[in-house]
Amino acid sequence: MHSFNLQLLYFLILITFLSGAIVSLILSKNNRLGNIISNILYSIASLTGIITSIYFLLSDKTRIILLHINSNIPFLSFKLEMGKLSAYFILTLSILTLCVSIYSISYLSQYYGKRNTGGFNFLLGIFIVSLILVFSSGNMIVFLLAWEIMSLSSYFLVIFESELPATQKAGTIYLVMTHIATAFLTIAFLTIYAYSGSFDIANAAALIPTTVKNIIFICLVLGFGTKAGIIPLHIWLPYAHPAAPSNVSALMSGIMIKTSVFGLIQFVFVVLGGGYDWWGITLVILGSVSAVLGVAYAFMEIDIKRLLAYSSIENTGIILIGIGLSVYGYSRGNSILSSLALIAALIHLLNHSLFKGALFLGAGSVYYSTHSKNMEKLGGLIKKMPYTALFFLIACLSISSMPFFNGFISEWFTLQALFQSIGVSPQGFKLIAILAAAALALSGALAAACFVKTFGISFLGLPRSTEAQNSKEAPATMLIGSGILTLLCVVLGLFPKIALTLLNKLSYSVVHNSVVPDLKGFSSFVYYPIGLETNKISPMFILVAAIVLVGIVFCLFKLIGRGSKQRTYSTWDCGFRELNPRMQYSATGFSKPLRIIFRAIYRPSRELQTEEGTSPYYPKSMKYVVLTQSVFEKYLYIPLTHLFTSFSKKVRSSVQTGSVHTYLLYIFIAIIAMLIYYRFS
Amino acid sequence: MDSCLNLLSILILLSSFILVANKRVISYIRTFRLQSLLLAILSGVIGIYSIEKTGEIDILIVCVITFAVKVVLIPKLLKTTVTKVGYKVEKDFFLNIPISILICCGLFILTYFSVSTINDIKDAQVKAYLVNSISVILIGLFFMISRKKAIGQIIGFLVMENGLFTTAVLTTHGMPMIVELGLFFDVLTAVLIMGILVFRINENFDSIDINKLRNLKG
Repeated sequence: MHSFNLQLLYFLILITFLSGAIVSLILSKNNRLGNIISNILYSIASLTGIITSIYFLLSDKTRIILLHINSNIPFLSFKLEMGKLSAYFILTLSILTLCVSIYSISYLSQYYGKRNTGGFNFLLGIFIVSLILVFSSGNMIVFLLAWEIMSLSSYFLVIFESELPATQKAGTIYLVMTHIATAFLTIAFLTIYAYSGSFDIANAAALIPTTVKNIIFICLVLGFGTKAGIIPLHIWLPYAHPAAPSNVSALMSGIMIKTSVFGLIQFVFVVLGGGYDWWGITLVILGSVSAVLGVAYAFMEIDIKRLLAYSSIENTGIILIGIGLSVYGYSRGNSILSSLALIAALIHLLNHSLFKGALFLGAGSVYYSTHSKNMEKLGGLIKKMPYTALFFLIACLSISSMPFFNGFISEWFTLQALFQSIGVSPQGFKLIAILAAAALALSGALAAACFVKTFGISFLGLPRSTEAQNSKEAPATMLIGSGILTLLCVVLGLFPKIALTLLNKLSYSVVHNSVVPDLKGFSSFVYYPIGLETNKISPMFILVAAIVLVGIVFCLFKLIGRGSKQRTYSTWDCGFRELNPRMQYSATGFSKPLRIIFRAIYRPSRELQTEEGTSPYYPKSMKYVVLTQSVFEKYLYIPLTHLFTSFSKKVRSSVQTGSVHTYLLYIFIAIIAMLIYYRFS
Repeated sequence: MDSCLNLLSILILLSSFILVANKRVISYIRTFRLQSLLLAILSGVIGIYSIEKTGEIDILIVCVITFAVKVVLIPKLLKTTVTKVGYKVEKDFFLNIPISILICCGLFILTYFSVSTINDIKDAQVKAYLVNSISVILIGLFFMISRKKAIGQIIGFLVMENGLFTTAVLTTHGMPMIVELGLFFDVLTAVLIMGILVFRINENFDSIDINKLRNLKG
């Protein structure tokens, strides 16, 4: 196959997605038919995307130009190109869209006749195409255009259930935040253009002075950070993800917030040519803070999708730690560290999109059959929806970075990179790296607790509501969609060599080195790079230790429990006649210990409302509410918006006086000023 | 020829100074009529000159239309408007007359300084024309700001237009016919619409003092 075929395949993907979108719009009267046809087209396009990007990742070409249209206006040209990095992101996107579009065939059936599913699928197609364009953009204008289309189409997808006030609020917050991001990106891009004289995404490091590079970096972090949802720019995520339909949340969390990681790598490594130590340190610190706080907030949530949204913040944090280490290693000339960290970040990115996709789709299946996202209303679903529960469990294990699942591999790589950096860096950064490692470990533990809660409360125990009682297993296509994702989680967990092979050439093209050939494998899942022997953790030892420990515990148990008899009986109810679902451990109760420990960030408060009855001892009803505050919203965003609106009001009332003479005076002053300027220029 | 044009352009400038010195609404209209008449004469002179030279009668037609629209029609329309809304003698300006005149002198000097630095204009005569006519535009704008009554704004607008017209005629010796015609229709329509607006303002606010429009803002 030569490059012509690759171009052809690429355009085939785009055209198939677009035709799916258009077909869905044409058939919008016939919900069912349009939905099925467009989603089948989307899955075909995604399959093509998977094949194309894997082929390109393994081929020897570093970069091919797919399309280049020049216009007469000097800086305005339309350029699409594919590099290794783009191919990797398109691969991630295609895997996810394949599963999501299979899933959507049944998932959208709940909206037939009630909502415009044709329009929905159309927007979904546009959204996916814009994502592909972002990943394959060859210059900043195409990047910004595609970025904006992506933001707007995802906004309309978020507000699909637009009559709900919560959805409207979520949409507005999302729209505002995403445009703040675009504003910062535009500043960064124009600054690059001002110095390099070209909008191409190509190395411009030599043309830009140091101070300006630093300013560009800050703009990029603010812009991409808002989209990625790093704390404290994260506030839109916990609103937008729960409001959107589950298939959209899966795509948004799985791949859309990763566009910012793509952009960061693309602009820091390719355009700015590496960077400085402090860039890496900043990213590591931001990543660590986001990882810990993200999961800490996730633990408090009782809405499954809000919880997953916060967990996305955590995982973006982990990816950012990797990117930060890579930037740091690159600027210090440590190619092993930069390559290892980059690979860690990119594997985690793929893994996160797999298991987070599976979790969102699982949450969607639960919502499909119970119409509830509130964990306190679920329970006992494992008996009603066994397959959904199985897939959800596997995804939970992956996201909690349990060994033998993919989440473990990438977090282990990130930890390895951190340990490696402790060995080779000066004192100051050592401390940061140690703290970051601790933060990573803490976030891993919290994530495990968080998903024990999610799975335990929603799927185990007794049903807490009649909806949960009457729930049914999700339809086959929905199971297939989330099933493929969980299968991939297991496969990548057992055979990480697959992902490593894909990343080998990518790492060369971005940081000019790759640790993949040096990774020696004892078995399919034990790796440590040569040259890293000083600081290594071998998962093999963990496995051995685990087996030994389990063996010891089992033997002890058998030894002590000799001679006791077993009988099967219902759960002990303390002598209370019968157990009911309300006596179970609740999600709020489960998170109580952590709420006490992290009082400082949660600021919990409780409220007891009592409706007086005939006697103070027999109240009519009592209502107990536990609240946690969003510190960033209360102390950062609300004061900022107040300041901004009051300032704008003041300016408006002094500028727009309503007097015609004042307006005329503005024109007059402007003309006079221009004349004076002309005289002295 | 040149001295004749020079004289006329200075007279037009002077007429706008006279306008600023006017106190009553009726005399605004009279001064505007005077200025328009001077403008018509100006374009007539240029028209005759161009007939002699090239045989084109475009500018002469413009002269006739200027006379018809700006000297006869528009002042008449404005007069009916003023009489209908009920003409009262009352103070109509924010700044007193001497200060206004001084400011206009300042504007003239500023224009002179700005225009004299344009190196691309080689012809000293054209530079002088430009100074005069741009001053007329600025004075028109200043007049709009300094008067309270809506009639003042209309006259100011028309004076600005006269200034633009003078600039065009003096520097290019006539724009294409179609542009000129378009401009006349524009001005005529603008005056008609503004006249109607003045009626409305008067109906709603019992006055044509545009300061009372303040509370219309959103």
